[in-house]
Amino acid sequence: MKEKIQSLINEAKAKVEAAKELIEINELKVSFLGKAGAITSLLKGMKDVPQEQRPEIGKYVNQARDTISDIISNKMQELEQKALENKMMKEKIDITIDEVDATRGSLHPCTLVINEIVDIFTGLGFTVGNGPEIELDKFNFQLLNIPKDHPSRDMQDTFYAGEDILLRTQTSAVQARTMINTQPPIKIICPGKVYRPDYDATHSPMFQQIEGLVVDKHITLCDLKGLLDLFAKKLFDSNTKTRFRPSFFPFTEPSVEVDVTCSVCHGKGCRICKGTGWIEILGAGVVNPKVLDSCGIDSTKYSGLAFGLGVERIAMIKYGIPDIRILFENDSRFLKSFK
Amino acid sequence: MKVSLKWLNDFVDIDVDVNTLADKLVSAGFEVEEIIDQASKMKNVILGQIKKITKHPDSDHLQICQIDVGAGELIQIVTGAQNIAENDLVPVAMHNSLLPTGQEIKRGKLRGVDSNGMLCSGEELCLTENDYEGASVYGIMIMNKETAPLGTDLNKIFGNDDVILDIGVTANRPDCNSILGIAREVATVLNKPLKMPDISFSANKNIKIEDIVKVDVKDTDLCPRYMAGAVTNIKIAPSPEYISSRLKSVGLRSINNIVDITNFVLIEIGQPMHAFDQDFLEGNQINVRRAVNGEKIITLDEKEHVLNDSMLVICDAVKPACMAGIMGGLNSGIKDTTKTVVFESAKFARDNIRRTSRALNLRSDSSFRYERGIDFDSQRLGLARALHLIQEFNCGDIADGIIDKLATELKPNVINTTVNTINSILGIEVPADTISTILNSLQIETTIDDKGNITCIAPLFRDDIENANDLAEEVIRLYGYDKIVNTYLDEAVHTQGGLNQEQKNEKMIKEICVSNGYSETLTYSFISPKAYDQLRIPQGNPLRNYLTLLNPLGEDMSVMRTTLSYSMLSSLASNYLKNIKKAKLFEVSSIYEPKALPLTELPNEHKNLVIGSYGKDESFYTIKAVVTAILEKFNISGVQIKRSEIPYLHLGKSACLLKGNMFIGYIGEVHPEVAKSFDVKDRMYIAEIDLSIINKVANFRYKFEEIGKFPPIERDIAVVVDEDVAVGELMNSIKRVAGATLKEISLFDIYRNPITVGVNKKSVAINMVFRLADRTLTDEEVAQKMDKIISKLRDDYNAILRQ
Repeated sequence: MKEKIQSLINEAKAKVEAAKELIEINELKVSFLGKAGAITSLLKGMKDVPQEQRPEIGKYVNQARDTISDIISNKMQELEQKALENKMMKEKIDITIDEVDATRGSLHPCTLVINEIVDIFTGLGFTVGNGPEIELDKFNFQLLNIPKDHPSRDMQDTFYAGEDILLRTQTSAVQARTMINTQPPIKIICPGKVYRPDYDATHSPMFQQIEGLVVDKHITLCDLKGLLDLFAKKLFDSNTKTRFRPSFFPFTEPSVEVDVTCSVCHGKGCRICKGTGWIEILGAGVVNPKVLDSCGIDSTKYSGLAFGLGVERIAMIKYGIPDIRILFENDSRFLKSFK
Repeated sequence: MKVSLKWLNDFVDIDVDVNTLADKLVSAGFEVEEIIDQASKMKNVILGQIKKITKHPDSDHLQICQIDVGAGELIQIVTGAQNIAENDLVPVAMHNSLLPTGQEIKRGKLRGVDSNGMLCSGEELCLTENDYEGASVYGIMIMNKETAPLGTDLNKIFGNDDVILDIGVTANRPDCNSILGIAREVATVLNKPLKMPDISFSANKNIKIEDIVKVDVKDTDLCPRYMAGAVTNIKIAPSPEYISSRLKSVGLRSINNIVDITNFVLIEIGQPMHAFDQDFLEGNQINVRRAVNGEKIITLDEKEHVLNDSMLVICDAVKPACMAGIMGGLNSGIKDTTKTVVFESAKFARDNIRRTSRALNLRSDSSFRYERGIDFDSQRLGLARALHLIQEFNCGDIADGIIDKLATELKPNVINTTVNTINSILGIEVPADTISTILNSLQIETTIDDKGNITCIAPLFRDDIENANDLAEEVIRLYGYDKIVNTYLDEAVHTQGGLNQEQKNEKMIKEICVSNGYSETLTYSFISPKAYDQLRIPQGNPLRNYLTLLNPLGEDMSVMRTTLSYSMLSSLASNYLKNIKKAKLFEVSSIYEPKALPLTELPNEHKNLVIGSYGKDESFYTIKAVVTAILEKFNISGVQIKRSEIPYLHLGKSACLLKGNMFIGYIGEVHPEVAKSFDVKDRMYIAEIDLSIINKVANFRYKFEEIGKFPPIERDIAVVVDEDVAVGELMNSIKRVAGATLKEISLFDIYRNPITVGVNKKSVAINMVFRLADRTLTDEEVAQKMDKIISKLRDDYNAILRQ
């Protein structure tokens, strides 16, 4: 009887092993474990087993049923898994193509520059100032120590919109507005559009500037240097160096032009920096006390620093754009390269 | 400002090379825009003499010359020119020479015969007959009048031995629009003494200026100082060579000795001078006064100007003789017959000169300097220098006496400050004695006491020095900006930075556009007034209430836009016309709405968003989806969508968005005629949103709402309605009837079929989800809701439930 049981197990193993389809397994399950199956007929044959051997043989038969049941269910699981895999492979797709268009658009390179600069300065405690693009002569010029019919107006030709109303030529107008309305401490950064009647390969009649202004106690030229050095290192790279050259702006005194080491050649000299190793990026200075006073801030208590830069110019330097007009062409292929 | 190095050397002994000088000037605040070495264009071209001429053995026209170039040995040069003879003096371009044409000359062979250079024509040396007699001759330029030794560099003979610096002078330093002014700076940066120009002269005591001219200044506000000197027995003649070559070096033509003196003083001292022919001053009188309205003058350039009473004129007893500070009258100028000259050396109000010059569109070297400002001391210096030159040229008798009409007391600026104040502006510690040395070297008379109190007296020519910041700048530009160290606002109050809500909103809106595939454009704020015709905007429409610039660059850029749509359509069209198949663009920019025209106050200015697209898969709905996303982001509900009457949009495919009575914006397909006017054959889609409204109604008050674990009940219905029924409105009706139990509603199908649905009908299938937070809804409750909904749709929309 034991041999019979063992050979039944062996037979089951062999048959299950050979089976290829789920249906075969189901048939084997019926033929071994079903109501009319081999195990059942073994159990039926128990009556011919001598009484004293029955418990032992019964145990054998039960073990054999469990073993065969395991073999079958393992195989079943295996085949089911395979069938599922086959089914999935039939649903196979070409993973190298795109069927849904979720392409991102892009921000304009000038916006990227503005965002980056605004992020740097807001992180340093600056808020963002705004002012109108169509502006009063008072804010654009007079409060900034540029009286009417003064030669320093020649530095900035102006579009006029009405009596003493003009298109602002500089975001410095926001400085004046802010100082008129706010007492120190002031820390603002003001991006915006400005207008001057120049139109050629390096000048656009509309362009964007970013103005920065700090007014507080004990602000020095060294603070200006430190702030702009920090800024240049963040905007370009951490090895960037900054230098001051004397210059003139009516609303700052002392006034400086600020150069940074060329981000292309790192100061060695190349086409971009015209061999000098330096690129001029902005104008700055200590706020002229006359400006503080005319804006209602006590220049004996407070001092300030201010700087202004051209966004297009920075974008051109940073992204290697050769002609300012490209920035205004709005060619979607160009724009998309700034994703 | 063009400055000759030779001229500068009259006042400072410059002992550094020109590049070092330029670097020092740059670090002191004077940008050197260009260094022009006159001699660098022509190199190794020297004077030679032809000693012997022989025929070339293998050529009919070539000749072989033996040339003496002062080097002992003769050199052999082959030439094709025929106008030469033995003993002629000629220009010789030696081996390895450079001609002003850019041509380089090297030795070589001409038909087998060695030639060690080239004999030059006037043309090859870029000379005309005006520059050198005989320069225009066809053939070699013969220089037989030269007395210089053979071998002399022709640059020396032609006077090309100067170096010109083109220096950018900032508006705060009008004193440096002169050789003397630059020389002062050069003396300071080189730490050398400044040699002042010679202004000595002696007058003829027998000739009294009162007998020649009288001066009356009526409008002293516009002419605070008027000086005059006179010269009789004038001999008009050419100027000495050094005067004409100096003038030439800075781009001025030599005319005659008297005119050249005025120009020379203008350049050297920076003081504009005018020379009147006394014969033409009626009544021997000079009156300085405002013009009478309607008065006329013909200026030297032979143009007639009609004047008004804001303009200053220099008159004789009868008529205007000169536009003060700008240009002389045609008839009062110096002629070959002039016998007596009156020199004017005056100070005029700079803003008045500037206004008059612009009003008359009349500019000159004089007006350029007056506009920038002339100090109170230059009149004296300029007049004396002019009279000195008269004496030096020996071309007339200087009258005894100088007229000086000075309306105000001459007061130099005095600044009292402290060493601490200067150093607290700079942020570094500049020693007191260094401050003193620097300021004194600039002729700013400075004394510092042991407590650090500074008293400065600025010279008259530095009226830009007004306060401690001005002094700090003078100190640091000479002390060196490289001494400034980095500090980080250590003493400033800590502030919290960041964007305000509107700025954040704008950033979010841009991000929504970008994540939906739109790219940001940048367009000009000014457009053409014709844009409004192209957009079919009728007269009287508020969009036409635009501001026109008073001085635009052209009509195309003359109007401040009241809508962004024209710019967007132009951008789309420019992409389309480059054969780009698809474009999705957006821009956030200001529009400008004047309150009254002409402007009496600043216009309303606010930002709009414009979105535009064309190409495959683009539609009204793709744009609408972005607008909806924005409305959702800002939690703006209850927006009504109405058919629009925007004239540049498609009648059937355009919508206006309203929140209450506020106009949020529009969405639509572009009107086919408008698209055609842009040469675009694809359909274009556009939306423009007023961000000031979005900012006003945006709502970020998020609130927790219990979702609950009780199961929702879903219902689908399909109703047949007329084609004209707006499904959005129909769904809004359902929401109102169903109340808060209805948590979600969505459209899942619109089906049209003339047979099964009906002609001009559509079947609309809607999915609804009902749910309560605190208990399970019963089927009966939902059935009741559905009955109400269906009867409402039947009543309001004639909707028939589709089974």
